[in-house]
Amino acid sequence: MPFSAALGKSEAKHPVAAASGGAASPALEWLWGLLRDVPHIRVLDCGPVSPQTAQILFKRGAKLYIADLIAPLQRRDALYWERKDKQLVFRTQDFLALLPAIPAATLNLALCWHLLDLAPPEALADVVKKIYGLLEPGGIMFYLLREAYLPAGVDTAWWLDSLKTIQVKGQGKIAFPYPAISNREMEKLAPGGSVKTFLTRTGRREIVVLKPGGTL
Amino acid sequence: MWWEKEKKTDLPPPPPLVAHPPEPVKPENPRMEPSMPETIRRDIPNASSPGQALIGRSIVIKGELSANEDLLIEGQFDGTVNLQEHCLTIGANGKVKAQVNARQVVILGNVTGNIHATEKIELRKSGSVTGDLASASIAIEEGAYFKGSIDIARNGAPEAARSVAVSARSLVEDYDK
Repeated sequence: MPFSAALGKSEAKHPVAAASGGAASPALEWLWGLLRDVPHIRVLDCGPVSPQTAQILFKRGAKLYIADLIAPLQRRDALYWERKDKQLVFRTQDFLALLPAIPAATLNLALCWHLLDLAPPEALADVVKKIYGLLEPGGIMFYLLREAYLPAGVDTAWWLDSLKTIQVKGQGKIAFPYPAISNREMEKLAPGGSVKTFLTRTGRREIVVLKPGGTL
Repeated sequence: MWWEKEKKTDLPPPPPLVAHPPEPVKPENPRMEPSMPETIRRDIPNASSPGQALIGRSIVIKGELSANEDLLIEGQFDGTVNLQEHCLTIGANGKVKAQVNARQVVILGNVTGNIHATEKIELRKSGSVTGDLASASIAIEEGAYFKGSIDIARNGAPEAARSVAVSARSLVEDYDK
């Protein structure tokens, strides 16, 4: 069952996002400024299917690719794990096969949400490399990374409330399985990319990785 | 005795042994669908409406399918579907592996393949699509599974954008009720 359906309707909204029509996202504000001159953008949404996100991006003239990479990690889906020498090993390539057929170097934007907080550390480099390879020069990856002091939040789902605000649902009670990723580690994960960090008051950093080149 | 006889004659007549129940009121349309609100009718995926052809649950077809009427698929279909001027509904039990061309496509079941609709594609929450969607208007319900791309046909860009916005909003509103 998709995660968003499993959550039901009674879950509490994130306190920051629930207060109004969504939480302002400094990273989104920044990146839409960069993309303002691109009329028909191509966007990958790595989160669960969100009608709101789709509606907002269609209005912006986007071609939208959707592949829910978040839900299998939240569920710790057994399909993507195997036992080798009495150890559980993540099947990274099978997991990345969840992505639809997207021509290399064609995306303007990848919305990856909290994907890197959920993926096993040994898979992070391949995940980032794969999505980075789909970006055209000047393309942007958008991530949410938890701060080290935020212990739980696996069970959240994020979506666009507007081009520059984000919404979240889920109780955020399930503990993160892996240590928080530092800014330095994030820079190492995206070699060649320009990493920009935006601090927020939600316990999460907003990270954008800009692929150099292009006309931006 | 004389007074007992008189009492018997005062009793009311017994009720008839065979009662005739009132005739059941027949609805003008037994399906009741036209009088149902849209939100209720939408939740009856197995009901095929009059004028809509049906591929039933036990039917398995491989090949090329063309039709000049609306079609509901509750069975399995592999191949190509062409309903240029009509609506294709893939019911909750339907499993389709096909390239689909239609005016409108409503998905409650499972589809693998690319879908092109001149007017509208609706992916309901029970629906699952792996493939590419192209249409002037697309509505997706929360909870649906989708892997692929969505392309909005832009013959007149503002019009296309408006129709998408309206359809997506209406589905969200229905879902919230």
